[in-house]
Amino acid sequence: MTMKMQRDFFQGSMRIKVQGKMIEPFLQACVRRGSVISNIKRVNEHEAVMTIRLSEWKTFRQLRRKYRCKLSILEGRGLPFYYRKITQRKALMAAFMLSVIVVFLLANTLWSIKIEGLTPELEANVEKKLKTYGVSPGKMSIGMDDPNDIQRKLLDDIPELLWIGVNKKGTSYQLYGVEKTRHDTNKNLRPSDLVAEKKGMIVKTFIEKGRPLVTVNDVVKKGQKLATGQLVEDKDILVHTEGEVIAETWYKVDQNLPMNQVLLLTDGLEVREYQLKIGSLTLPLWGWWEGEGSQFRSENEETNWEWFGWKSPIDLKAIHHYEVDGKKYAQSKNKIQELGIITARESLNQYLGKEAEIMKEKVLHLREENGKVKLILLFKVHENIAVTKYISQGD
Amino acid sequence: MTKWQKQIRTWIGRYFDLPSDVMLDLPRITTIGSIHVYIENHTGLLHFSDNEVRIQYKRGQVKIIGKDLGVKMMLKEELLLEGEIKSVEFLPEA
Repeated sequence: MTMKMQRDFFQGSMRIKVQGKMIEPFLQACVRRGSVISNIKRVNEHEAVMTIRLSEWKTFRQLRRKYRCKLSILEGRGLPFYYRKITQRKALMAAFMLSVIVVFLLANTLWSIKIEGLTPELEANVEKKLKTYGVSPGKMSIGMDDPNDIQRKLLDDIPELLWIGVNKKGTSYQLYGVEKTRHDTNKNLRPSDLVAEKKGMIVKTFIEKGRPLVTVNDVVKKGQKLATGQLVEDKDILVHTEGEVIAETWYKVDQNLPMNQVLLLTDGLEVREYQLKIGSLTLPLWGWWEGEGSQFRSENEETNWEWFGWKSPIDLKAIHHYEVDGKKYAQSKNKIQELGIITARESLNQYLGKEAEIMKEKVLHLREENGKVKLILLFKVHENIAVTKYISQGD
Repeated sequence: MTKWQKQIRTWIGRYFDLPSDVMLDLPRITTIGSIHVYIENHTGLLHFSDNEVRIQYKRGQVKIIGKDLGVKMMLKEELLLEGEIKSVEFLPEA
C-alpha cells in the first residue's frame, strides 16, 4: 500500500468528476485499457467522483466522447502538481535560484591566503605578487590560475624563493615557502691584510690564510697589521688573508644616576571612554567625562574594520584611562651601583654584538653629589678585532 | 460455452484439484466482515450507487446491497468495495 501511495505521489494523481448517463460502462472501458481507479464515490445518478493517476488522464479523455461523459478535474495531488504550483510562484523561484547562486558564489570565493615558512618581508612580497595575478581574498576563484601555474609564476617572479608549495584547500590558499639562503659566492678574494680595528691585547689568534704578524700577549694599536697577504717577505706572492684575532679590549662607561626616582604606578583603577570615528570625524559615545586631570595615563585602542579588503570608514575607538600614582623611591648607593653595572653591561652588549664577550667589570669611581651618583666603570672585553684591508697593487 | 465443455472443465478441475475459480471462470468474492468485499475475476461493473452494486460475471450477475458503499479500487478484473455490506446475492443467467 505504501509503495502504491509513493508511486501516486511521484507520478501525481487527480481527483476527477465524471458526469453522464453511462458512467459504469465508461469506467469499465477505462479499466480495460489498464487504468486504476480508486475511491469512487457516487454523488447522484449522473455523477461520480474518483481518483485516477495523472498518466491515465489521456485514456479518460479519449474514451469520454464515446460514452458521452463530461470530465472535470477537482484537484491534483503529488509531485507534478507541486512542481507546477512552485513554478507558478515567481518570487519563490527567484529567491530559490538566487540562494543557489549566492551559495555557489560564496563557495567559489577565495576567503583567505595563508603563507608559512617565510620572513615577513618575503611574505609581503609574495602577497603583492599574488595580487597582481588576481589572487587575493574576496576574489572569485573561478577563472583564477591553477595552483601549479601560480607556483611557477611565483618562482619565476621572486628570485629569493627556493621553493613554494601552493595548495588550494576549499576556499583558502595555503602556501609553504622556502627561502634561498644566500651564500656569498662572489666573495672578494683580492689580496688583503688583516688590521686591528681597535687597541687591544691579543688573547688568541687563528689565521686561516696569510702570514700572522702578531702573537698572543702582544699589545696592538689601532690600524696595526695583524696578518699579511704577502706570504714571503719582500716577494710578490699575495693572497687574501682570512682569520680571527681575539683581543682583550677595554671600555670605560660614565654614568650619572639620580638618587631619587619617581615611578608612575597604576593603582588598578581603570575607566574607559568610547568614541566613534567616521572618516576624520570623531564622535564621543560614552565616558567622555572620564579621564580628566593629570592623574591618568591614557591608552588608545582603535578597531580596524575591513570588509572584503575594503576599509570601513567607521571605526570604534576605545580610550583606557588608568589612574596613576607617582611614588618616589630613594635608593642606596650600593643598589644604584648594582643597577648601573647591569644597565651598562646590557648596553655594551648591544653595542658589541653577539660575538664579543664581557669578561670582567671594575668600578673605577663612585661618588655622590647633589642627589646624583657619578659612576665610572671599566669593562674588559674579548672580541675579534681583525678587519680586512685590501692591498692596493697600483694597477 | 457448450454443455460438454462445461462438464469437461468441471471434471478436470476435480481431477487435478484446481481452484474452481480458475477453472470455471467464476468470480472469487472475499469479504472481510461486513466492511470490505474483494471481487476477482469479474467481467464488468454494471451499476453502482450508495446502496447497491451490480457486477457482471461469466454466468450472471452479483448484487451487493449495503449502506454507504464505495469503490475503493477498481482494476481490470478486480474490485474492492467498502462500506456496510448487508448481502451478496447471485443472479445466475437462466
